[in-house]
Amino acid sequence: MKTMNQQSRGRFLLDRGASLPLMLPATLLVVVFLVGPFYYMAYTAMTDLSFANPDQKGAFVGLDNFRKLMRDDQIFWSSFWLTIRFVVVSVTIEFVLGFALAWLIWRFIERQRLLTTLLLVPMMLAPVAVGLIWRLLLQGDFGMVTYYLRKLGILSQASAVFSSPGLVMPTIIAIDVWQWTPFVTLIILAGLMSLPKTPFEAATMDGAGPWRQFVDIMLPLLRPIIALVLLLRGIDAFKEFDKVFIMTGGGPGTVSELLSIYAYRVNFKNWNLGYGAAVSFMVYLVVLILCSIFYKAVYWKSSAERQ
Amino acid sequence: MNRSYKILAIGVLACVLIIALTPYVWMLLTSFKGRLDILSPEPRWLFTPTLSNYPAVFIDKDYLPLVFNSLIISLGSTVLSVVIGAPAAYVFARSDFAGKEDLFFFFLTTRMAPPISIAVPLFLFFTTLGLTDTVYAVVIAHTSFNLSLVVWMMRGFFAEIPKEIDEAAMMDGRSRLGAFVRVIVPLAAPGLAATAVLCFILSWNEFLYAFILVAFEGRPLTVGIPGLITPHGTLWGQVAAVAVVATLPILVFTFLVQKHLVRGLTFGAVKG
Repeated sequence: MKTMNQQSRGRFLLDRGASLPLMLPATLLVVVFLVGPFYYMAYTAMTDLSFANPDQKGAFVGLDNFRKLMRDDQIFWSSFWLTIRFVVVSVTIEFVLGFALAWLIWRFIERQRLLTTLLLVPMMLAPVAVGLIWRLLLQGDFGMVTYYLRKLGILSQASAVFSSPGLVMPTIIAIDVWQWTPFVTLIILAGLMSLPKTPFEAATMDGAGPWRQFVDIMLPLLRPIIALVLLLRGIDAFKEFDKVFIMTGGGPGTVSELLSIYAYRVNFKNWNLGYGAAVSFMVYLVVLILCSIFYKAVYWKSSAERQ
Repeated sequence: MNRSYKILAIGVLACVLIIALTPYVWMLLTSFKGRLDILSPEPRWLFTPTLSNYPAVFIDKDYLPLVFNSLIISLGSTVLSVVIGAPAAYVFARSDFAGKEDLFFFFLTTRMAPPISIAVPLFLFFTTLGLTDTVYAVVIAHTSFNLSLVVWMMRGFFAEIPKEIDEAAMMDGRSRLGAFVRVIVPLAAPGLAATAVLCFILSWNEFLYAFILVAFEGRPLTVGIPGLITPHGTLWGQVAAVAVVATLPILVFTFLVQKHLVRGLTFGAVKG
């Protein structure tokens, strides 16, 4: 990311009269449609508003919802930890696989264009379509993947993936890995392509082997990009909704009920909007924390670039 | 030795490609299959293709308007995001003011905001305005996240244009706005086009906002697909046909903007 050159700072300012009108519409739109709703959510979270219960018209209850959430809500906590596990496991696998693939492409393939383009397909599909494709592939009676899994003896004859509680989350993670590994590959590959040649040449002259070069030169140089990939994937995985909603809807039972699906259920199935807002608020909070770490990482990178 | 490593690497990558593409290919095939070919317990890779799934769902089940809704929503939010976002990005690239970087970060948080958190208040808000179940509600919701993509991506593209060009244009008697519209925007056109295509893709693929804000009239394709799934007797040929129409244009677009994709996906942090 390119920020302004230090020397030209102050020398070149937009005339005050021109920058305000250019800036205003964007800021206004964001304030009205995102900051407004955010405060409304924070307020609603402190009421007992419910569309299902006519007695609860939105009386102010202070922090009761949050207290209940923190102390008594077993489902909230189990879906919170489920989400954390989902994020950590899938992002880790995606990172390791994606890095390995990027390295293979970088090291061995000269004409990368077509290959990377084809690799991108899973990630550019609408997540809803991804969910549908896998639901079709994993159908119990006629799913193509189910058939081959049974042939290989991985899945027993009578069972189907999405109706076996023990298999649901690993499958969802595998599908997330299928969809998002190319993202890691693409960005790490861009990082590898931009690496300077000299440190590696110098290391080779000094007799450092490939492994030492990888650990001592390549990884440190790629660190900002690695941080960026992990955070972007982490934030997105934490918000995961579409695929899981289409494939399992959170079930069977609550086995795959990630946090955003739980929030959806409280808000739009139970119509318990006050409590639902408290749940939504917690989701937002985690994303906001991850987001500010991302921002720091980006700036860390651009300051490293300047040196 | 080196040669055999290379062959091994190509083999591994070929396997990865097969894994990456087969599920989508299967969906494509399914959309051209008759009922019996789909329901066969043993997967049928070879079959007599039929085109009947497409008219069955788009004409008989009246899914054609959903394609137009998707188009209106994606185009609408793209145009709105670019028209509002590009000038703001230009200010970020050129101007310096107190709190600039904080405001910039603030734009990022809007992109990252979890839809499930913002959707309820937006839903109530649009209900008050009488806009639920219209494409307008979705256009505005999508603009709220696409806008920050435009601001983040275009700041980088504008910063790459030398400041001397603005100065020269203004020396020639153009106003600041005139210089921006007539000189800078044309110079940034390739970046702007890539950004617009990315906005279009994100909006076209989005599900949750649209799902919550529109129930029937303004439904885009992504919201229409789940409606075809029933606990028993789902017509998968038709589901696949809709999914193909919902994904094929995006894949074509992806190939067009591949050069700028890395930049767009990392909010301008990696040039690619």
